[in-house]
Amino acid sequence: MDILHNLALGFEVALTWQNLLFCAIGCIVGTLVGLLPGLGPLATISILLPLTYSIPTGGALIMLAGIYYGAQYGDSVSAITMKIPHASSIVACIDGYQMTLKGRTGLALFTAGVSSFIGGTVAIVVLSALAPTLGEVALLFGPADYCALMLVGFVCVSFVTTGSLLNGMAMCLIGVLLGAIGTDVNSGMQRFTMNLAFLTDGVGLVSVALGCFGIAEITKNLDNRDERTPFNGKIHLMPTWAEFKRIIPSALRGSVVGSFLGILPGGGPVIAQFAAYAVDKKLSKYRHEIGSGAIEGVAGQAAADEAAARTSFIPLMSIGIPENAVMALMMAAFIIKGIQPGPNMIAGHPDLFWGLVASMWVGNCFLITLNVPLVRYWLSVFKIPYSVLFPSILFFCCIGTYSVNNNLDDIFNTAVFGFVGYMFLRLDLDAAPLMLGFILGPMLEENFRRALLLSRGNFTSFFTRPISGTLLAFIGIFIVWQATAFVLLARKTTAGQQPA
Amino acid sequence: MNDRNLVRGLFLIAISLAFGLMSLRYPMGQFSRAGPGLFPLLVSCLLFLIGVFTVARSRFVERVPMDFNLKNISLILASLCGFAVISEYVNMIVGIVFMVFCASFAGTSYSVMRNIKISIGLVAVAFAFQKLLGLNLPLY
Repeated sequence: MDILHNLALGFEVALTWQNLLFCAIGCIVGTLVGLLPGLGPLATISILLPLTYSIPTGGALIMLAGIYYGAQYGDSVSAITMKIPHASSIVACIDGYQMTLKGRTGLALFTAGVSSFIGGTVAIVVLSALAPTLGEVALLFGPADYCALMLVGFVCVSFVTTGSLLNGMAMCLIGVLLGAIGTDVNSGMQRFTMNLAFLTDGVGLVSVALGCFGIAEITKNLDNRDERTPFNGKIHLMPTWAEFKRIIPSALRGSVVGSFLGILPGGGPVIAQFAAYAVDKKLSKYRHEIGSGAIEGVAGQAAADEAAARTSFIPLMSIGIPENAVMALMMAAFIIKGIQPGPNMIAGHPDLFWGLVASMWVGNCFLITLNVPLVRYWLSVFKIPYSVLFPSILFFCCIGTYSVNNNLDDIFNTAVFGFVGYMFLRLDLDAAPLMLGFILGPMLEENFRRALLLSRGNFTSFFTRPISGTLLAFIGIFIVWQATAFVLLARKTTAGQQPA
Repeated sequence: MNDRNLVRGLFLIAISLAFGLMSLRYPMGQFSRAGPGLFPLLVSCLLFLIGVFTVARSRFVERVPMDFNLKNISLILASLCGFAVISEYVNMIVGIVFMVFCASFAGTSYSVMRNIKISIGLVAVAFAFQKLLGLNLPLY
């Protein structure tokens, strides 16, 4: 009964006309920006973050969440109609684009919308049941356990987002080092500031995010110079009853898979989509059609995508540790608004927490009532040539950076990170783990030093505590597995080369 | 130097050395009472190891050529910095116009008329931000 009571409180917050408006704006703007080629949820959130500065806390969080779902949906739309893959919608390209080729774009978009709704609804039930309980578990965590948990997050994110543990870990560590720039909290000493006054406070989050995701992505798209042909096909949205019936089971399966995978460290939409797609391929009644434009191929992954996007809020809001880069950015946005996510957030700001949860569902309703019917108009974004778009995106990056502190010097910071981000892209290093490292870095150092202080400099305490010991063992096994796989692969290639 | 994997390793080593050597100048303390230099040094060492390993591995895997287009990134960065400098010393409207004209050199086609239209549009958006959202923009 407690949950119902809390949810009622949440809806009371979410359904004020102001917050409804913020949610709707977030969903629509998020969808529009998410549709743009090359801009995934991370870039979209960092570009639109400044929009929320002048909005009251509750509304700002609701709007940010709306932007996130909107961006996710926008991604899947561009994947289905034009096969433009973003990191977050690779799976939607497979069957979704096949359906477009068969002239069933409308059905695919409808399926994606409805399945997202189902996935989101299931995830919200999981979220409201689990988050408060997990919040209590989080109180058992000591500094050493937090360290270990963050390291698990690094390892998982590195592996999931980049596919290469080594590259991803390198980016996490660079992020941690960047996070160390500025004044050391314990000693008050200035580190890595090179006597530059504007670095005393550390490197601005928005500068890093906009540089690595905004500027670098724009430049990469400019380098590619491929003009895309906009989608001009007809869109017929409503499915027949028989088609509609095929959506439900697959979407439900996807929701369960997605909700579960969304909670795990390093989890989130990407891995959930692949898993749901694989499950559908095994279990669906129409599994022989999957891969060639089956409804199930779209429904399952869309539901998993949405469900995981929501349940990935659980670790952030209950333990206070973001599990992937998007959540790290969300956490930063929370902190800008003066809210420290963690076990105390649910108790201290119940209206914010439950309001956010309820607004997720409201956001889903907006997506399905506004975005699905209006999708043909949204698609006209693609008719704007890139030569018009990119100066505008650049402008938003500038305004976004400037308005954090009303300081024009920050734009130079963004420019530096734009260059660094471009280097990363060209060196095939993914900037998403860097973001996580950058935001978790100061927390990691704080907890690391505290843990050593408590154990009087004894490192064994990291291994003897049950929680951190288990987590570190997991990391150890993972690294050994990766190393073995690499050695085996290397042996196979050298063995293959010798006869020739 | 036309090997992306090798360059990546060297790049990582360079970053780790930059941070590692700088952190040597800060007090280390002991493990039980860590100084400000200890944690960054540990992290830099780890990064250095990864860098060395990447360099070593690049000898075993196939070479991937690295493409790097200096023109576009320089144009974009120049337009950003120009925007900041001009907004500081003249005003932001001129800054926006400069940014649009400078950045569009990186596009596939260049048209003065189109740039003027984009500039007008963006200045209008900036005014909307200033008046409606209350952002403090030094527009004029």
